[in-house]
Amino acid sequence: MKGSTETGQGSLDFICVREIVRISDIRAVNPALPVVSRTVQSAAIDPNRRFVAPGEVLLAARGVTMEYPGVRALDDVTVEFRAGEIHAVVGENGAGKSTLMKVLSGSARPTKGRVELGAGLGTLGRAAHDAHEAHFTKPSDAIRAGIAMVHQELNLVPALDVAENIMLGREPAGVFGFPIRRREQRARAAELLAMLGADVDPTRSAAGLSIADAQFVEIAKCLASDARVLIFDEPTAVLGEREASRLLALFQRLRDEGRAIIFISHHLDEVVAVADRTSVLRDGRLVQQFARGEHDEGALAAAMVGRDLGSIYPEKGVCDAKATPAIELVEFGAVGRSRGISLAVRPGEIVGIAGLVGSGRTETAEAIVGLREATGTVRVEGRDVRFRSPREALAAGVTYVSEDRKGRGLHVALSSIANTTMPSLDRYARVGGARLDVAAERATTARWIRDFAIRCARPELPISSLSGGNQQKFALARWLETGPRVLIVDEPTRGVDIGAKGEIYRILADLARKGLACIVISSELPEVIGLSHRVVVLHAGEVAGELPRERLTREDCEERIVRLASGLSEEKERAS
Amino acid sequence: MSAASGNSRVESSGSNDAKSRRPRMSVQKFLQEWGVLVAFGLLLAISTWREGFDFLSFENFRTMLNSNAAVGILAVGMTFVIVSAGIDLSVGSIVVLAAAIGVTTMNWAAGKEWSEGSSVTLGVAATLATALVAGMVNGALIVFGRIAPFIATLGGLAAFRSVALAIAEAGEIRSSSSTLFAKFGRSGVPLAWQSGVDEAGNAVFKGLVNAAGKPLTLTYGIIAFIVIAIVAQWFLSKSRFGRHVVAVGANETAARYAGINVDWVRFRVYAIMGLLAGFAGLLLSSRMNSVSTSGLGLGAELDAIAAVVIGGTSLRGGFGRVWGTVIGILILAMITNILTISQVSPYWQGAVKGGVIVLAVLVQRGARE
Repeated sequence: MKGSTETGQGSLDFICVREIVRISDIRAVNPALPVVSRTVQSAAIDPNRRFVAPGEVLLAARGVTMEYPGVRALDDVTVEFRAGEIHAVVGENGAGKSTLMKVLSGSARPTKGRVELGAGLGTLGRAAHDAHEAHFTKPSDAIRAGIAMVHQELNLVPALDVAENIMLGREPAGVFGFPIRRREQRARAAELLAMLGADVDPTRSAAGLSIADAQFVEIAKCLASDARVLIFDEPTAVLGEREASRLLALFQRLRDEGRAIIFISHHLDEVVAVADRTSVLRDGRLVQQFARGEHDEGALAAAMVGRDLGSIYPEKGVCDAKATPAIELVEFGAVGRSRGISLAVRPGEIVGIAGLVGSGRTETAEAIVGLREATGTVRVEGRDVRFRSPREALAAGVTYVSEDRKGRGLHVALSSIANTTMPSLDRYARVGGARLDVAAERATTARWIRDFAIRCARPELPISSLSGGNQQKFALARWLETGPRVLIVDEPTRGVDIGAKGEIYRILADLARKGLACIVISSELPEVIGLSHRVVVLHAGEVAGELPRERLTREDCEERIVRLASGLSEEKERAS
Repeated sequence: MSAASGNSRVESSGSNDAKSRRPRMSVQKFLQEWGVLVAFGLLLAISTWREGFDFLSFENFRTMLNSNAAVGILAVGMTFVIVSAGIDLSVGSIVVLAAAIGVTTMNWAAGKEWSEGSSVTLGVAATLATALVAGMVNGALIVFGRIAPFIATLGGLAAFRSVALAIAEAGEIRSSSSTLFAKFGRSGVPLAWQSGVDEAGNAVFKGLVNAAGKPLTLTYGIIAFIVIAIVAQWFLSKSRFGRHVVAVGANETAARYAGINVDWVRFRVYAIMGLLAGFAGLLLSSRMNSVSTSGLGLGAELDAIAAVVIGGTSLRGGFGRVWGTVIGILILAMITNILTISQVSPYWQGAVKGGVIVLAVLVQRGARE
């Protein structure tokens, strides 16, 4: 590289000096800005890379308005994203966060306003020298301009291996794309993964990667395309605490390299911890912006909902400890995923199940309702049962609300009405099922919309038109409509904003008070602690420990759950 | 506003008047939803222009419906299959197998000195039973054998016709029933009645008559097609079974999680498809009063799938409409009609049909993302 020999490493105050190859790149940088520099490992070096000083605006939305039929999702939003900054975007469900991300990443065109690229980012493979309007017509335009979006639904090709996924579309190859130099491809993928600190074998298949690993692979893919702006849509929502903190640490490293990180999150604690700047959206408008250190969770929450929130956890009801358990597991397990789980839940009781991602929480729940092969015994109201399908479980009053709302919990393409009545459809069948009582279905849906304060103007439209929180309320409502005696909820508030969270907690507590036996599986410790009468912690498919009610009020309970969940045994714990 | 200064409060007044605005529909959206009707209207206009107003006559539509009733019945069943995110390539072969076994059984009974009525009854029952069993075989392979519908029914496409060919040694099976069996395919309900006699002593009819003054009949084929289509549209949109088919097609996993007996739903879809193929086979064999094992129902699966796709049913499953399929059938019939009248070589008709199918998918693509 010519530039590197002339300037020498570290002699100028910008990032990655030795990678600079063109005079135009140097012009784009303001040497007066402070040093953030660190030399990026050779893995990320790309001869076409463009550099910008930290603090410079890389990407901006200016006066962006987005109108969908009947809804103004964004209303005159102006926001700038700078190099070397982690920028969090928060807001209630339906506030317009995802729409903003879509506009920024080129997958939606704003009705009004424009997206501006900073100097140093450019389309058509050329860096522009000045800020200019982005002309994205499709996501690949944005990617070419150095803007990459990591979607919540990760887009890996399961048939390819990890290295092939990372280098997809950028395979090192000879003329006419043939042959692909596999060794080089693997080496480059391995370097990127190593840089991210991800422990993933680049030669393994992308199928069956854990969500956390898949996310790292996805980020490596973005870096392979040399993305300068990385946009994350609720990246930590699908991660356990440990994976989440690993990801947030990675954000900080990427920021220090001079990239701009944009992320949406409902976890206000992590926003406060890592964001350099936070934009709050409400009803499609940018209502407030905070710089680092200017805000705490309370201030953010208040800005999001436009009012102060008290404690979002309702008071726990009492339950009769002598009553027959509504559901009892004896030495129960999901084949290959969990074993030896014994647990009894009485009417009126909420039992929390905590554990890291991969600890077998979800699989155990799925085994209970017959979605997986099971070992051991399940007793419902004292009788031994073995459900072979959710249908049989439903008939016995045992229901499972999946954590995977889009893939399993709801039919996103169908209407809110059809979704609400799906599990209890028999009740609306007339003339032996030849006719469905649509009016009754509509009435039921309207009742839940009212009871759960769901924002849904037209329930006959596909449920995908609703925000995540409102969808989640329907996901709960459809099962409550079946009148269950046992409710197993997996991640009841995933992707749900703080206002809706409080409502869902209240709903669950109310139901328990009315005699429902409830198992709450969650990655969010405050949620498990705040909601449950007791908490069972799983580690590697087995019960690592249980915290009774009186321990849940102690301040160290969160720490104790984390220790149990990460496999620290009682003895080790005492020793430490 | 300045993004650099933190805590800068941004204007947040104003009401959400935008949210109450009525939704607008773009041309593209409109075509995605109603393209099939637009195409139907266009073809109707073109046909009328080419052939004169006679084209719009009841008689002409009766003829078109009559010659497409069997494929139409297949297409109605195929709508359910495709809505459930499946496919059935074997329907044409089920048609010939059911017809071959039906006619053979009928002839066997006639050979045993059964009366014409009872042997025809037995033959009809055998046709329908064979088709139902064939459909159930498909369903069982797909549901219990966990074979992809495309592959399972591709097997059926080859196997079912092969059995029919073996039965007749690739030849034709003539029906032994001289008149009764042929009635299903040829006769129907007359739409005119005799009102008197003219000077020449010929009967004069009142009601719907053709150009020669002879009464028109609504054939049993048309009646069966219309009744089946109406019942199917009702079941798809209004019944529990229809809702389940849509749910399974839209997202099988979510349907299973919701407590739907996914296997049973899918099995029934293929069984019903088989039974409807039996009706189609009955109509076709009765019309000829014989079964040509090499030709009957050949390629019918493609016409049926084409009609479903043109009608706006999503090949990915989860959405469909029987009325669209019926119009799809009429569109295919009109295209053939126009091409024939315009003296386009029959060799070219396949190309035009193919183009229309691809065009239909292009226009409706992404209708429901």
